[in-house]
Amino acid sequence: MSLFGSTSGFGTGGTSMFGSTTADNHNPMKDIEVTSPPDDSISCLAFSPPTLPGNFLIAGSWANDVRCWEVQDNGQTIPKAQQMHTGPVLDGCWSDDGSKVFTASCDKTAKMWDLNSNQAIQIAQHDAPVKTIHWIKAPNYSCVMTGSWDKTLKFWDTRSPTPMMTLQLPERCYCADVVHPMAAVATAERGLIVYQLENQPSEFRRIESPLKHQHRCVAIFKDKVNKPTGFALGSIEGRVAIHYINPPNPAKDNFTFKCHRSNGTNTSVPQDIYAVNGIAFHPVHGTLATVGSDGRFSFWDKDARTKLKTSEQLDQPISACCFNHNGNIFAYASSYDWSKGHEFYNPQKKNYIFLRNAAEELKPRNKKYNNVIATTSLNLG
Amino acid sequence: MTICQFFLQGRCRFGDRCWNEHPRGGGRSGPPAPGGGGWGASNHRYTNVIQPSTFKSNAWGGSKDHGRGFFGSSDFGSLGSGSRNADFSRNRFSALMTSQNIDDSYKDEEEKLLEGIVKDMEIWESSGQWMFSSYSPMKEKLNISGFPDFSPEELHLEYYNCRANNNIQNYINSVQQLVKQWKNRLLELKTLNASTRAALLSELKNAVSQPLPSFGFGGQQTSSFGLSSFPVNSSSNSASNFSFKTSSSLVSASSGNTPAFGSSSAGRDPPVFGAMSSPSVSRSVGFGSQSAPSAASFSFKTSETTSGLGTSGFSGFGSSSAVNSSSTTPLTAFGAFNAAVAASPSCSSSTLFGQTASAPGHNVTSAPSPVTNNITSEKLFTLKMELSAEELKQFEAKKFTMGKIPLRPPPLELLNV
Repeated sequence: MSLFGSTSGFGTGGTSMFGSTTADNHNPMKDIEVTSPPDDSISCLAFSPPTLPGNFLIAGSWANDVRCWEVQDNGQTIPKAQQMHTGPVLDGCWSDDGSKVFTASCDKTAKMWDLNSNQAIQIAQHDAPVKTIHWIKAPNYSCVMTGSWDKTLKFWDTRSPTPMMTLQLPERCYCADVVHPMAAVATAERGLIVYQLENQPSEFRRIESPLKHQHRCVAIFKDKVNKPTGFALGSIEGRVAIHYINPPNPAKDNFTFKCHRSNGTNTSVPQDIYAVNGIAFHPVHGTLATVGSDGRFSFWDKDARTKLKTSEQLDQPISACCFNHNGNIFAYASSYDWSKGHEFYNPQKKNYIFLRNAAEELKPRNKKYNNVIATTSLNLG
Repeated sequence: MTICQFFLQGRCRFGDRCWNEHPRGGGRSGPPAPGGGGWGASNHRYTNVIQPSTFKSNAWGGSKDHGRGFFGSSDFGSLGSGSRNADFSRNRFSALMTSQNIDDSYKDEEEKLLEGIVKDMEIWESSGQWMFSSYSPMKEKLNISGFPDFSPEELHLEYYNCRANNNIQNYINSVQQLVKQWKNRLLELKTLNASTRAALLSELKNAVSQPLPSFGFGGQQTSSFGLSSFPVNSSSNSASNFSFKTSSSLVSASSGNTPAFGSSSAGRDPPVFGAMSSPSVSRSVGFGSQSAPSAASFSFKTSETTSGLGTSGFSGFGSSSAVNSSSTTPLTAFGAFNAAVAASPSCSSSTLFGQTASAPGHNVTSAPSPVTNNITSEKLFTLKMELSAEELKQFEAKKFTMGKIPLRPPPLELLNV
């Protein structure tokens, strides 16, 4: 069964070799299970960049480790290597040439993992857990950007123990995304800052949050000519805001939509509202995927302002997601995200990473109704 | 216009765009106002009603399941509540208003805001969404005090640290404390009584931050913590975490991102500011308060008696290795909000799961009341001569005018016994 290729059928294959038995709902979508998943909640997923032939997936987890698998075209996943931190790993990313993996951890450090030699060295230090890590590749410089709960954003040349630059944040960094030359950082207390990264990173604009509650995840999207033009921001309140940086008509172009809620239309019964744990944009189609604490993932077309698909409900929240470099694979991790506190934490429960063929399902919808959309749009943004 | 039947049942899915009339006061319980009133476009920017019939099946998913593929009308967090329709038509003529009318409409805006807040609180309570989140009623507005942000990862880490030190009970206590505070604050906002209302309104209107004396804490590094001036610009100052603010809104409102914690009136915990001796507590909380702050300190250490003012920095849930049971890091301080005396400062800070994972939390629930009472008795009445002319006029009037309610208590002389 071919995972990547336009003609692959998905349906049958999918399930893991463990064989799904009875009423086990851990994989209702019958997607491919990655072998040897981490033993604790998965905090981040990242696929290798196009410079590396093939697809390699890294996942950081609360078991203090970051693991790497090779994902083959037939869907088989081969565990390749792993590295450890002394605290849970919160974020990870690849360098642009695919030779290094950067990991950020609660042990207040970030490490650079050279995959060829399988050695990892510390490259960053903060005063509090490091929540986000991104590789920046600019024409005239390259560095690693780390955001931490110590309210700073630091930029590191991996060869030096002191940061190249430190920028203060108004509050703890909760999530960030980088698409050169733009970086978006969302902090606690509904803070939202956009940075421009040309020449050297500098604050571009502080934005009033379009959401009413805590920010949870952010992802930058690009326009038709592949330039970053805005971002999607998810909150704990089952809502995502699409925000353009310089839209022709902010009132109309920016909007928010509700997602990851139970009960659909029936407004008389109170809905259950779940947090949006991750947002990822399809690299080719520009459509987006959101994953939530309700254990579902959804695909959306933000230009047509419509939902493309919602998955069945998994028995655990989905804590992370990502697309591979050409958009053929959508990976999502099913593990407990602490959204209901410690009472619902079950260390015995297995954590999974699923892979799904994303080539077909994320194609954008027909945009015939653009006019209607424009006139109705409300400025929530 | 015909009355919209769906609206009366509370399920009109076109919301403001509906062609039919949505009588204000009818079916108000229904409509899924995302975020309630005030969210989204202000009324007079509303353009025409969009013809609902153009909603075909796909693009907007207008046909089927409302919640399904639909970024639908109400989903656009705009107005939502059908009652807005009526308001909208009223405000369309805002240009013709005299100042008196403007005053009234301004009052309406406030009312709507408050309604929105109440609605949001109800949804928050019933939806099971994450509790420890900041909240703001409307996009441009600042965060409402009393709701500090904690991400699930922070709690998750705290649990792991406590588990490593065999102190899970601490964690549980701390979380229970936080939950209690959240509930209290939520209840307060849901059932707005006069004082909460006044405080909230002034908080929301006051964009300017007043300098607050802050009790810095932070063991070593927080240089910015001084007792005299509030580190207003929290962005530059890595240490200032939580600030006490009076009824005014967040400090450095310009950035709009500073955490400011007004305190919750109910469920106050006594101010416990232990001395921060632990070196591992880096971030600290700044407290500004004008009278004696009553803040509960949420400490993870068992042995420590909470006396004096101490707050521990939040710098997160540090590595468990560094922490040992002897370190004393008082964690959070919850300020007391003297709801009764509007003039008194409201200070609060949120709990910080401090770095000393080893210390069990304190349950300091019982103590607060005496403290607050003391504060209230000091300033129960303002002297008549101290009042401004405006305030005097308000006190002497039969009813308070919204937006002009004095923040200070009335003079004894004006009270009719």
